[in-house]
Amino acid sequence: MLSERERERYNRQMLLFGDAGQEQLKKAHIFIAGAGGLGSPVSIYLAAAGIGTLTVVDRDVVDRSNLNRQILHYDSNIGRKKTESAEEKLRAINPDITVNVIDTSIEEKNAGNLVGNAEGIVDAMDNYPARYLLNKIAVNKNIPLFHGAVRGFYGQATTIIPGQTACLSCIFPQAPPEEESPVIGVTPGLIGMVQATEVLKYLLKKGELLTNRLFIWDGLQARAEEIYMERNPLCTACGSLYETSGD
Amino acid sequence: MKVRVRFFARFRELLGNEIVAEVAEGTTVPDLVKQVTEKNSEGHTAIFDENGQFREYVILMRNARRIDTADAPKQIIADGDDIAVFPPVAGG
Repeated sequence: MLSERERERYNRQMLLFGDAGQEQLKKAHIFIAGAGGLGSPVSIYLAAAGIGTLTVVDRDVVDRSNLNRQILHYDSNIGRKKTESAEEKLRAINPDITVNVIDTSIEEKNAGNLVGNAEGIVDAMDNYPARYLLNKIAVNKNIPLFHGAVRGFYGQATTIIPGQTACLSCIFPQAPPEEESPVIGVTPGLIGMVQATEVLKYLLKKGELLTNRLFIWDGLQARAEEIYMERNPLCTACGSLYETSGD
Repeated sequence: MKVRVRFFARFRELLGNEIVAEVAEGTTVPDLVKQVTEKNSEGHTAIFDENGQFREYVILMRNARRIDTADAPKQIIADGDDIAVFPPVAGG
């Protein structure tokens, strides 16, 4: 049941989806992998929207060079664990939700446990090995993966529903070479908003998800494009689900 | 015939937004991309490896549909084709 305070807090969005929708958000648990450039806007907006439980994982400490884009963290937080900084801000934004933070790196051996019983994973990582791992966990647990990535003024996003849509390994069978990506904060801001919108639509069962489509944003041209993607029956990550789902 | 090759992200920084090219009958997708990138060695090297094959992570799109880089040499360009070439972006 929603409290009076919650009804007041969510009043404007409940005009869109009512008590039932807000209850759906309240009982949801979303896992956010990373409290950096993408994780900041995603977690802020999902907290504000009233997702009942957010788990945020990050292993880093706030550095001054993060602050052009990682809007969860302030100058006064430099040197603090990102998870502590994130927890403080998210609780201050919305005391009516549960925020779990875990200060660790996401690895093969702990990823499944970290995700736990979350209903969806937000990919707010900065490298493909970690993304492929999240993709694998999403496939194993049969929960969606909300992918986003950025470089400079460019960004991309897609939503993956294991067994039904192209997964991250179907779309990107090979990782690009590692580099220290240039980035301006507005790009993860925009891509993070696409991811957070997808999470909300998924939980509310509203609209059409960004599945089998890669959204590509070029901030310099102010143009968005999409590319249609298909499942790869031979995919190393999700190919095994191909036979069982019968399509 | 006239076709358009578009680039995204890092490839766009190196090669520009798009190149409209006049190509001969029977040109394949890799032939076309080589033709339009050959004068730009940095751009060319970002897309092709030392054996002249598409780098493994390169994503190719033909008329808004993904095409496999391994399958691209079998695909013959048709008039008005829109070919897009891009790398996945990785930052977060």
